Parts: sequence; C-alpha cells; structure tokens
Amino acid sequence: MLKVENLQVYYGAIHALQGVSFHLEQGEIVALIGANGAGKSTVLNTVSGILRPREGSVAFEGQAIHETPPQDIVRKGIIHVPEGRKIFSRMTVTENLEMGAYTNNDRAAINRDMEAVFARFSRLRERRDQLGGTLSGGEQQMLAIGRGLMAHPKLLLLDEPSMGLSPILVEQIFDIIQDINEQGTSILLVEQNAQMALAIADRAYVLETGNIVMQGTGDDLLKDPKVIAAYLGGH
Amino acid sequence: MRSSAVDNGLRTGVTFGIVIVTMFLIGFTVTGAGLIGKLFGASDSATPSLMFYSLFMILIGMWAGASASPRPLTEADTFKRALISGLVAGLVSGAIAAVIGFIFGDLSANKIDPRTYLPSVSPDSIKLFLFNQTPLMGSLTLLALMTVSAAVSAALSFFFRSNHWLKNKSGETSNAARGFFQSAGLNRVLQSQYASYVFWAITAVVLIILPRVWGSYWNYVFGTVGIYIILGLGLNIITGWAGQLVIGYVAFFAIGAYTFALLTAPEPHHLTVNFWVALALGVLVAGISGLLIGLPILNLRGDYLAIVTLGFAEIIRILLKSDLMTDYTAGPRGIRDIGGPTILGKPFVSDVDFMYVIIVAVLAVTFIAHRLRNSRTGKAWFAINLDETVARATGINAFGSKLLALSLSAAVAGLAGALFASRNQFTGPDDHALMVSINVICLVIVGGIGNIPGVFLGAFALKGLPEILRETESYRLLIFGVLLVIMMRLRPEGFLPARRPELEKHAAQTPSGKEA
Ligand SMILES: Nc1ncnc2c1ncn2[C@@H]1O[C@H](COP(=O)(O)OP(=O)(O)OP(=O)(O)O)[C@@H](O)[C@H]1O
Ligand SMILES: [Mg+2]
Repeated sequence: MLKVENLQVYYGAIHALQGVSFHLEQGEIVALIGANGAGKSTVLNTVSGILRPREGSVAFEGQAIHETPPQDIVRKGIIHVPEGRKIFSRMTVTENLEMGAYTNNDRAAINRDMEAVFARFSRLRERRDQLGGTLSGGEQQMLAIGRGLMAHPKLLLLDEPSMGLSPILVEQIFDIIQDINEQGTSILLVEQNAQMALAIADRAYVLETGNIVMQGTGDDLLKDPKVIAAYLGGH
Repeated sequence: MRSSAVDNGLRTGVTFGIVIVTMFLIGFTVTGAGLIGKLFGASDSATPSLMFYSLFMILIGMWAGASASPRPLTEADTFKRALISGLVAGLVSGAIAAVIGFIFGDLSANKIDPRTYLPSVSPDSIKLFLFNQTPLMGSLTLLALMTVSAAVSAALSFFFRSNHWLKNKSGETSNAARGFFQSAGLNRVLQSQYASYVFWAITAVVLIILPRVWGSYWNYVFGTVGIYIILGLGLNIITGWAGQLVIGYVAFFAIGAYTFALLTAPEPHHLTVNFWVALALGVLVAGISGLLIGLPILNLRGDYLAIVTLGFAEIIRILLKSDLMTDYTAGPRGIRDIGGPTILGKPFVSDVDFMYVIIVAVLAVTFIAHRLRNSRTGKAWFAINLDETVARATGINAFGSKLLALSLSAAVAGLAGALFASRNQFTGPDDHALMVSINVICLVIVGGIGNIPGVFLGAFALKGLPEILRETESYRLLIFGVLLVIMMRLRPEGFLPARRPELEKHAAQTPSGKEA
C-alpha cells in the first residue's frame, strides 16, 4: 500500500534521512521507533507531503506521491496527525472536527462521521462547544485523532499519540488505535513508547540517526536484546 | 482579608483622581466643558457654562464607576459589590480632585496666581473647577458629584453586564440571575426579530438622511471614514483572517487610485473612461498586483510578506514621485481633475451623492466580507492563521488560500483607492505614504483584529474621532493618545475581539480568576 524507497531528506545542511526504505501493506499497523532526533517525524512529514525528499520515492497504492502537494495527498486518503497535540486551539471541538472533514462537502456525511467520532471519544461529545485550547492534554490528543478520522483515512500517520499521557490514557489510546485498525484503516505509528507500540504493531522498524537499523515483526523486536537494551529500558 | 470590591474601587479611584487633576492642571477641564457645550450647540464663549462643566465631570465620574464595577462578572459578584466598587472609586477620585481644588481655590482666594508656574491654571478655570463656589463648598460639591455619578454608573454597568452574562449562560441559574434587575421582559424585546428589523430600518433612514443634512464638512470626514472602513475590511482578510501581516498595504491603495486616475483624468493620457469601468479596472489591477506579489513569497514561511510589501509600497511611492515617471503618472505634481461617478450619463458629483457611493461601497464590501468569513474559504484562512502545518495536514491548500486572500485584500484596497481619488478629484504620491498602511493596521488592531464590526469602530475611532476632536486643537493628539492607551489597557484584543469571548470565559472564571 505504502512503499518508501531510499528516502533522503535534508534540513539545509542537516542530512535528516539518509536512505530510509520501508513498506506497509493494506490493513497493517507498522511502528516506527527510535530515539529523539532519529528522524521519525521527518519520515511522516515526508510521506504526508509537508517535506520534500531530495532523493528517493514514496508510492501510495502504486502511485508516486513524493511530488504531490499535501492537500492532494489528503484527498488520496493519507491523513497525518502531527506530533504534539496539534489542534486548532481557538476553534471549538466541533469546528476542529469539521476542519478534519475539509475535503468533504457532504453535510449529512460530516454529521454522521462526527457522531462516529463522538461515539468513540465520549469525552469530546461532552465538550463539543469548548475551545480546543482549553481541553486537557489527553482530550486534545483524542481530538487530533478524531479530526484525522473525519477524513476517512485509508492510511493514518500517527506521530507520538501517547506523548505526555497518563498510563491509563496511554492504554486507552492504544486500544483505540487497534480498534481503528480493525475497522480497516492501515496505520503508520511513530512512538517513543516502544513497549506498547511493538505490542500492537504487525511489523516495526527501528530508526537511528536517519537510517533504518532493524526491522521485524512487533513480537520479534520485543524479544530482541538490542531493542530491549536501547528502547525498552531493559537490562 | 481586604474585600476585592473596595480594592478595585480604590485602584480605579486613584487612577481617575490623577486623571482629573492632570486635566485641571493642563486646563483641559475648561476645554472639555466647552466641548460638551458645543455638542449641545452652545455658542462659543471664553468660559463655558457651569452646566456643561458639571456634565463633563459627571461623565468622568460615570466612566470611573463603570471601570470600577466588576469585570469579568463572576457568580460571586453581587449588586452590592458593584455598588461598593463604584462608590469607593467615586469617593477616592472625588477626594483627590477636591483636595487639589481646595488648595488652588485657597491660593486664588489669597490672590496668588498659580499661572506663574502653571500657565493653564487661570483664576477662571479654578472658579469653574470649584463650581463658582467657595473653596470648601466647591470641593465638597466635586466630591459629591464624583461619588454619586460613579456609584450610579457602577450600578448601571453591573445591570448591563449581568444581563449580558445571563444571555451567555442561558438556562443556568446563578446569583446574578437572582440578583438585581432581572428584566426578562426587556431581554425578550431586545432579542425579538422585530427589534432587528427596527434597528436596520433606523440605520437605513439615518444613512439616507444624514449625508443630506450634516453638510459637506461631515460628508468629507465620514467619506474618509468610509474609505478607511473599506481598507480595514480588506486588510482584515489577509491579516485578520489568514494571519499574514501586510505592512505595505498602501501599495494596492495607490495602484487602485492611480489606475482609476489615469483612466479618467484629462492629463496626462487624455482618457475619459466611464467611472464604473475605471472603478472595476482599478479593483482588477490592484487584485492582480496582489496576486503577482504573493506568487513568489507566499509559500515561504515567516513574515516575508510584511517585508516585501513594505518594500513594494515604498518603491511605488518613490516611482510615482520620480521625474522618471512624469510622462506616465504626472510625477510629484499628482493627477488633477479625476472623473466622478455618472449614472445613465448623469453626473453624480456633489458631496452628498459621493457619500452615497461610499456608503453603498462600504455595504457591499461588508456583505462580501461577511459571506467570505463564514465560507469554506474563510474557515481555511482561520485554520491557516491558527496553525499552518495542521491546516495543510487537513487538506487545505495553504498557498492557494493565502494567495486568494492577498489578492482579495489587494482588490478591496484598489476599490478604496479608486474611490478616494475620485472623491478628491486629485491624487498624488503623498496620498500614498506609508502612514496610510500604518493607520489601517492600527484601526484593524484597535477595533479587534479579524472582526467586521471592529473595523467600523476602529475606523471611527482613528479617522473620525481626530476630526471631531479637531475643535480642541492642541489637545487633539493628547486625548487621542490617552484614549488609545486606555483602550489597549482595557481591551488588549481590541474593542470588539473577533474570538468569541463567551467561549473563553471558561478560562477567565477559574476561582483565582482575576487578571492583575
Ligand atoms: N525544521 C527543522 N530544521 C532543522 N532541523 C530539523 C528540523 N526538524 C527536524 N530537524 C532535525 O532533524 C532530525 C530529525 O528530527 P525529527 O523531528 O524527525 O526527529 P524525531 O525522531 O521525530 O524525534 P522526536 O522523537 O524527538 O520527536 C533532528 O536532528 C532534528 O534536529
Ligand atoms: Mg518527532
């Protein structure tokens, strides 16, 4: 479904991605783990078209998209939920969700989708008329994911959805991610919380200073001594 | 624990006391009273009547009371607290004024003329300050007047605010609901549909009648206000909504004005294009120039647009002024005898007629702006303004949206420029100095950035008020400055902030909930 080959991305002189290749098949959850500054967010930004690779290619459903503008990539069904609870702080919850359906013009469908989001995140329903910026961190994260779902993604790019959440909320968020996946959305998941990410991922890649250094199924990587030492805080 | 109501009143009272004393010392009490007199059509005289002076002081007292009454209104605020704040504010400011008044009155009674040190404090102004009474009686009157007017206005403003607050929290019961005036009846009248019909009917009648009756001077002043409203509405699109600062907005104003002027003036090109065609072309050319400016820079992050337009505006002004362009744009002399509007071949050029043209233009631009604001495009602009990365992640074409916003803004400025040139029948390079841009930015910010009614208010405050204050000559800029400072203090987001305050109350109503 998604095929990334030899991605080279620069920020000025900084060589952030040094030939990253990976793939993701329809229906999979693929996790991308790595230390701070490894380049995980850069990968997502490149896939969603916000950054342009200097070399390499990104193909989605067989079509090259690395030169497609972001708004058209959204229309193809790739939705990016950026890192850091990026919501529209001065819009209400409802308005935030409506922005998620920006590419959709069908009012009735939008309302139906919004109901579906509220069904999944009941906290958001209670706070539908509250400004996004006044939500708690966890609620903002739910809103960001909910906004992503409003666009009916085929592939959801999630950048650190568990960042800064309490352990209970982390569990909830991962349950929700799995649930979204079971309903047919493929997911590319970037996470610091390697333990949880590997547990729900079908396959995973380990990124280190702009290079993929390891790959395998989630279970295999969970047992890998090098992964345990570097990312699972193991001994 | 000291009651916050007393505290509040104390602080406001001291501020207003100082303001009153300062006004007295610079002789503004006399000028202010005279101004009020003018408003009521009193004839000029060296010392204004006692009545107008009292009125002036009452207004200041009421202002003090209104500032002292609780804001934001929380459930803990009762009518009594509001009254206490107002009372204290009035007492304190009145006492400060009274003490100073008494000292000067006493000096004056002992034949000491303070004018040696304070050129504005004449015996006459002291007498007026003390209501033509003895120092003791006069200062007591001052104290009483301030106290009563501040208390009354604190009570009144509590009533208005609690009412307003009730509307926002409809359904919930609260102290304020059980509080003073409940006046559900009044509310119902104000909220009914008929009230809005009546409001619009009155507005329409006023708009039709006023230009006929108030004479060409006010038509000129309010014509300028109208043109600045158009400019403000235009700048609001790119800066207020899409969030991209444009400093050289006057460039598009100039392009509209010169396009129109060159097409309709006998010199230098001997063209006499129809008013409406020239107007449309002015709008079009300005819009296209916005597009061309935006194309290379709008996909860059950061405030490049501000800098590039700034440069663009200066280049245009310098070009217009240079001898190089004299053959094409009449150089520093400017263009004279610019055409006026015609309808079905009939000229339409009196100041009254032109006022109507401006009113129609303002209404049209307001309508378009309003529609844009609530459109999909408007939402996209707002999203870009809030967070461009997320906006792009939701599928908004950020570059295209910003480009559209800039060319629409430029087109609106072109309209304003064409109207301006046509009304003055003249335009020259000096009409298009950077000051115009700065004025427009200021009026948008003062009014409340991103808000349509705010633009109207801002334009009145910045372009209308200075003309109204022209009567006060040398104090004009002083008052204007003071007003600006006060208003930015009270309303840092502008008079009418665009963001919905009722939603942001959640933050303001936390228990500790009072800003310093
Ligand atoms: N806008 C930018 N300009 C310059 N360098 C950048 C920029 N964004 C990221 N980088 C650099 O690129 C590298 C990869 O950054 P990236 O944000 O992709 O890391 P990450 O793996 O997402 O880290 P984290 O887990 O901390 O979010 C880092 O060294 C970072 O400093
Ligand atoms: Mg990151």
